[in-house]
Amino acid sequence: MQMFGLLLVSLIGACVAPLIARVVDRGAGLLIALLPAALLAGFIALAPIVERGWVRGEGLNWAPAMGLDLTLRLDGFSFLFCLLITGIGTLVIVYAGGYLTEKSRVERSRFFTLILLFMTAMLGAVLAENLLVLVLFWEATSILSFLLIGFDGRSWRARRAALMSLQVTTFGGLALLAAVLMIGNVLGGYSMAQAVEQADVLAASPWGPAIVACILIAAFTKSAQFPFHFWLPNAMQAPTPASAYLHSATMVKLGVYLLARFEPVFASVSWGRPTVIGIACVTMAIAAFQALRAENFKSALAYSTVASLGILVLLVGLDGPAATVAMVGFLLAHALYKAALFFCAGSVLHATGLQRLRAMGGLARFLPLTALACVGASLSMAGIPPFIGFISKEFLFEAQLESSWELGPLATAVMVNAVMVGVAGVVTLRPFFLGRGKVLSVRHGETFSLVAPPLLLALAGLVISLEPDWITRVALRPAVAAVYGRAVEVDLSVWHGVTPMLLLSLTVITIGALVARFWRSIHVRLSRIRRVDTYSLERLWERSQRGLILGSRSLTRWLQHGDLRRYLLTVIVAVVGLIIWSVVAAGAWPRLPELGEWRTAEALVALVGLGAAVAAARAPTLLGAMIATGLTGFAVAITFMLNGAPDLALTQFAVEALIVVLLTALLLAVPLASPPTRTPGMRRADALVALLAGGLLFVGMLDMVAIDTEFLASSFFGRLSYEAAQGRNVVNVILVDFRGLDTLGETAVIAVAAILARSLTMQRGGDATVATRPVHFSFLIAGRGLSWLLLIASLVILWRGHDQPGGGFVGGLVGALAFALLSLAYGVDRAEKALRVNPLTLVGAGLLCTLLSGLPGMATGGAYLTHLWWEPGGWAPKLGTTMVFDLGVYLVVLGAVLAFLFGLQREAAK
Amino acid sequence: MTALYAFVGAGVVAAALYMILSRNLVRMLLGLSLLATGVNLLLFLAGRIASAQPPIIADGRRALGPSADPLIQALILTAIVIGFALTVMLAVLVLRVWRAVHSIDARQVDTAESLGPPRRREPVND
Repeated sequence: MQMFGLLLVSLIGACVAPLIARVVDRGAGLLIALLPAALLAGFIALAPIVERGWVRGEGLNWAPAMGLDLTLRLDGFSFLFCLLITGIGTLVIVYAGGYLTEKSRVERSRFFTLILLFMTAMLGAVLAENLLVLVLFWEATSILSFLLIGFDGRSWRARRAALMSLQVTTFGGLALLAAVLMIGNVLGGYSMAQAVEQADVLAASPWGPAIVACILIAAFTKSAQFPFHFWLPNAMQAPTPASAYLHSATMVKLGVYLLARFEPVFASVSWGRPTVIGIACVTMAIAAFQALRAENFKSALAYSTVASLGILVLLVGLDGPAATVAMVGFLLAHALYKAALFFCAGSVLHATGLQRLRAMGGLARFLPLTALACVGASLSMAGIPPFIGFISKEFLFEAQLESSWELGPLATAVMVNAVMVGVAGVVTLRPFFLGRGKVLSVRHGETFSLVAPPLLLALAGLVISLEPDWITRVALRPAVAAVYGRAVEVDLSVWHGVTPMLLLSLTVITIGALVARFWRSIHVRLSRIRRVDTYSLERLWERSQRGLILGSRSLTRWLQHGDLRRYLLTVIVAVVGLIIWSVVAAGAWPRLPELGEWRTAEALVALVGLGAAVAAARAPTLLGAMIATGLTGFAVAITFMLNGAPDLALTQFAVEALIVVLLTALLLAVPLASPPTRTPGMRRADALVALLAGGLLFVGMLDMVAIDTEFLASSFFGRLSYEAAQGRNVVNVILVDFRGLDTLGETAVIAVAAILARSLTMQRGGDATVATRPVHFSFLIAGRGLSWLLLIASLVILWRGHDQPGGGFVGGLVGALAFALLSLAYGVDRAEKALRVNPLTLVGAGLLCTLLSGLPGMATGGAYLTHLWWEPGGWAPKLGTTMVFDLGVYLVVLGAVLAFLFGLQREAAK
Repeated sequence: MTALYAFVGAGVVAAALYMILSRNLVRMLLGLSLLATGVNLLLFLAGRIASAQPPIIADGRRALGPSADPLIQALILTAIVIGFALTVMLAVLVLRVWRAVHSIDARQVDTAESLGPPRRREPVND
């Protein structure tokens, strides 16, 4: 499990090591760099495996049901990436320690954390074998890139650039996820090796073109290829070490990595290679053009990076072993020299605060070692022997001459390479050697941390080309073999004799020298072409952002109009429409039930209820509407009673009585008759919708009752109610015992509503006394006695609930009626005094009772809310924990209703 | 009888929906209360009107004989109480609204809307 170990060390180290920067001020970078250096050593220790052309795999089960296993795989290509990631990562950390001197310790620590997390994500991405794992790490690199670009969150440029890169790269990530899911759908697994092996199966499947397109989009967004290239130059808002690491050496090469891995897949469709090569050529041309127009040191480097990525993508697109050799060679060479150049650019920026190339000059006097590193790296970039850049350029031309393609890509490559020679010359000569006297002083000189990393990289570019044996053996040859599929001879030497490639190199260098010589006039002339900026993709992105905001704003205005009636109408109409649509789509006709016997008395009661409901809807005043609503409630209660539901009837009666008392408090405050709130047209429309919904409901109900089903749960409860739960009232037994947990939840809902109502109606600074009204004669005579009677009745209802109609819910409501009567008769103050405690205390005590009643059962080994019974026999009644439960329900309901009642009456009396 | 009850229940729901669509908040509130009543009646029908015998085990017997469906009654019982709590909670809110804006017309309750969209301006570029 060595690879897992390394990844884990990397992840934990990323979280822990940056804490050093909080304590240590100088040299923190050097200390933290030990982590990536150790990882580098760890990977080099794995070199013998790779060297022999073996592949090392490791796996852990994660979510096998989803095909998601943590599988890692190390082959030559991954190994090369791992070396680059950890090696350059070490130098980046060292450099950052010297670069971020102006930031606070916390900021520095944050930067190190992000960089190291990024390194972990990068390692994970190149080691992943399961494609879902690859997607995971891929997205992690996008997010960390976003955080690093937006590191200086106070600058709007940084925020904009960060958002831009996030949108582009996560769009690509989404495409990659889609591709991976499609691959999993076709092959039934998420192994990358399997996907590459069965490339022809993938291409032949109906998903083939979509898979290839999604992979290409993912690669092009990550590697900044046209038309997604615009995010990379903007990403230079990141601190320079991050630019060097993410946006030049490693992350942007993930796209190339993906393309190289999936080469067999996209090569299996006819348009795969032409698309890749075409896009690469367009990208190179645009990038070369923009590199010459670039004003700033870093943006010139950024565009040349885009061009280099174009070359890499082109090489992946070309067929033949030479292309693969060239790709791997250039990958290494570019990572070395471009990171060094970024370091140099950062040092210049750091020392002078200047960004524009034309403002710099003569810096070699102040920054001699940086200048030296810059020269070394530039010579490699320009492809001057004996640097590694020269060798990789030879490979590039060889690959193009050997491939089966026409001269178009070759011509583009020659031109782009010439521009890169020019840019290399410009970025070295201009700031450091030409224009002496433009800069007279620098803020500070060179430090070890700022100089060592670029010098080391430039030196590596020289050493590798002169002593290529080790790196060829452990990294390049295995990498080529891994990408190409079989071993290819890699001969890394400076002198191959006079070949066509050498002639092409000479041409390139000559043109490049001319570009560097006349850079100023070329630059000025090209910069004047403003049309390029007007029609650039960046502008398009900006416009789309603005359009998105405006569009969503108008959509919000259209949907969120603020009219309650229209919201409700939309909901009701949508529900009715969906039901009608589904019924029509199913082609079902409602079944009709048998009519059964007709009972006139019951029918009359029900029809009175309906008539009252219609009267409520048409009532001109609120008082009338309330009375009619109550009448419907009573009619339904009687209906319940007539059909074998005394519990429901009792509850409904109590509720209707309480509603009258409670709503009276409301109606006393608000105007009873107010002008109509709907025009006659609206009322007609509403009536139509309501009738339609009612009609639909009627038909649906008829259909439902037409089916005769057996109620298994009901008969189960009926059979076991007495046997298992000692209760004769099955409804009550279901509530307190069989479905006790549900009832507990409902009780909690009522308790929460009570707390809410109390907090809404509570007065600040204590309850003011409400003026006492004269007491009506009838209340004076009967009020107190009646309320005592009601209270006693409520306790009786509670007590007998288990065997007879009644229970906690009804009992609580009846108990509340007692106090409602008191408050009606003598005012709310007297009623509150009669209660003696705060209603919420009752609620709390009740909730506690219900919660605790479930515990004793657990002591005997049952589940929570398993109730226990004790039957002493003889005259003594049976006792059980359900009684505590029901008492709790009683108290919660009583307290809640009283909280509502007192709150409403106080609020209304204000 | 079942068909009649279905008709009455659906009719009560229709009347309730008509009331809910009113912009008068108290009418809406009464409509919601009525809706709960109508829906409870319809729910009751889902247990079928089979017998007028309450689901109570008679003395001397150990299991429930033919009776009305007990399960649906347990459901409706809690539904009645919850519906009641909802109605009263709304009454508290309406009363607060009346105290705050001195109106029970839903169109006048626009304190949130009159604040405008959460972010009126473009993000500030510094």
